Amino acid sequence: MTSHSPSAATLAATGLSLGYRSQTVVDRVSVALPPEQVTVIVGPNGCGKSTLLRGLARLLKPRGGAVLLDGADIARLPARSLARRLGLLPQQPVAPDGITAADLIARGRHPHQRWFRQFSDTDAAAVSRAMAATGVTELAERPIEELSGGQRQRVWIALALAQDPDVMLLDEPTTYLDPAHQVDVLELLTGADTRSGRTIVLVLHDLGLAGRYADHLIVMKDGEIAAQGAPSQVVTAETVEAVFSLPCRVIEDPLTGTPIVLPRPRR
Amino acid sequence: MIAGDRDALLLRGPRDAVVFRLGRRSAALAAITWLLAGCAAVLSLSLGRFDIETAGVLRVLGGGGTLIEYDVVVRNRLPRAATGLGAGAAFALSGAILQRIAANPLVSPDVIGVNSGAAFGALAVLTVFGGSGLHTVAGALAGAGATAAAIFALSAKRGLSGHRLVLVGIGVAAMLTSGVSFLLTRADYHGATAAAAWLTGSLANRGGLHAAIIAAALAAAVPALVVLARHVRLLELGDELAGVLSRHAGRARTALVAVAVGLAATATAAAGPIGFIALAAPQIVRRLLPGRGAAFAPTAAVGALLTVSADLAARMLFAPVELPVGAVTGVVGAPVLLYLLARANRIGHAG
Repeated sequence: MTSHSPSAATLAATGLSLGYRSQTVVDRVSVALPPEQVTVIVGPNGCGKSTLLRGLARLLKPRGGAVLLDGADIARLPARSLARRLGLLPQQPVAPDGITAADLIARGRHPHQRWFRQFSDTDAAAVSRAMAATGVTELAERPIEELSGGQRQRVWIALALAQDPDVMLLDEPTTYLDPAHQVDVLELLTGADTRSGRTIVLVLHDLGLAGRYADHLIVMKDGEIAAQGAPSQVVTAETVEAVFSLPCRVIEDPLTGTPIVLPRPRR
Repeated sequence: MIAGDRDALLLRGPRDAVVFRLGRRSAALAAITWLLAGCAAVLSLSLGRFDIETAGVLRVLGGGGTLIEYDVVVRNRLPRAATGLGAGAAFALSGAILQRIAANPLVSPDVIGVNSGAAFGALAVLTVFGGSGLHTVAGALAGAGATAAAIFALSAKRGLSGHRLVLVGIGVAAMLTSGVSFLLTRADYHGATAAAAWLTGSLANRGGLHAAIIAAALAAAVPALVVLARHVRLLELGDELAGVLSRHAGRARTALVAVAVGLAATATAAAGPIGFIALAAPQIVRRLLPGRGAAFAPTAAVGALLTVSADLAARMLFAPVELPVGAVTGVVGAPVLLYLLARANRIGHAG
């Protein structure tokens, strides 16, 4: 009954192809997500970022290739252990009507429970820890629909943390948040409390924030990897123009030294 | 100790090897409502063409009383009350399961055509094959199962959407209603009259077989729900989160739908397609309880109470003429449906 602490896990895709019906969205992608680091995936709309994330989480069956967790094909991993080790927060999760924050967060403990053991002290501790880490302890008994967008996103992240996975995938966790709350959420996700040995993978739209918070940056275009590596090496004017068709200049952030993309005025 | 919410009551076995969680208020509501349903059932045993006072009913149930009293209470009225309690509970559970996992209160077996499918199947057995008793149960199960499979297959498109289910279900229900009318035109006069009463949902002339059918269905469904209930809490978070948190989410959903369809089908076979119980009972419980427990126990109790009270009203309001119970639940339930439709329209969807 000791509390499980996330162990360094390497998630990798080898020659992974994914798609819906006749359409191939991700085409023979091979990536390794560095353990215990923050990987950010960026790319233009429709480039296959979210699809790749779904494939990495085994929500989509590969058309080719495989996803490996510590070298083992996740398609063959036992269901329960996979559900404990791999978490995904979808882009716009829907909360049931009238649910309280605490009830929602506790549902993240599902893979650690059985039908005859529906709650344990470990569950209680994990839920409390997740709420403390995300700063939502005071909101525990409030219904979700009464919360602001930023608070709600914190509650969803707390659910993902309560699951206590080794690898946490988040699809655009900052969309629909104002700039202050975007920074707030990213600080939370890349902060020590959340990470503590976890591998974090984020899909983001904002290149400046991606450059600032990523240890490892993956740029996708048309279902393929266009570039990957440390943000300062990947984010160049040539890459941004080639991938996003956005003429720009890249400068160094005076606060953090990370790259910032300045689009060139068109007039 | 945080157990998801303050309301949760944990039943622990030795060394926490077994822990069940119950909602305190949900358990209290279930106890009170089952008590009320029991009282309504005893009342319906005592009232009728021969009034027998409550003490007399209890005496008969205890094994005493005169022969005539025994005949009226145990032979005549008891199967009716028992079938009413069981069918009400089964319809309510079926509605609660479907509404929750589709996150839409309109996805209820009476709205999306599962009851019509069961009715069509049972009626086909009655009129075309001349079967009766257990054959109609088989017909109802086959009809409901085929209908549910068709509705889910037609509305599945990258996961399950409550909205599409409702639209497809209403269409399928309309087709089945025409099918039922067709079957009625083929039946002889007596068959058609009996079928028409049964189609409104009727508890008249219930025998031990009907009560046994519904009891067997509940005996199979309740243990399954004890195991599956925790998956309901997951499935209502949407396909993606449910799929990540449980790698068996798809299987659990199929099993839950099967339980819901089986309950609606057997209840329909035993009591006819009584409308609105499956729709209204879960909504009533949701408004009485805070938060979002599974609340299956109080929902079943509310369904049983509604059905037995409606049947009592149907028998007594225009005595000596009896209305079918479905007529009363329709009058009471239609406003609930209208309210839910208006609400769903206003906010796009309603959980």
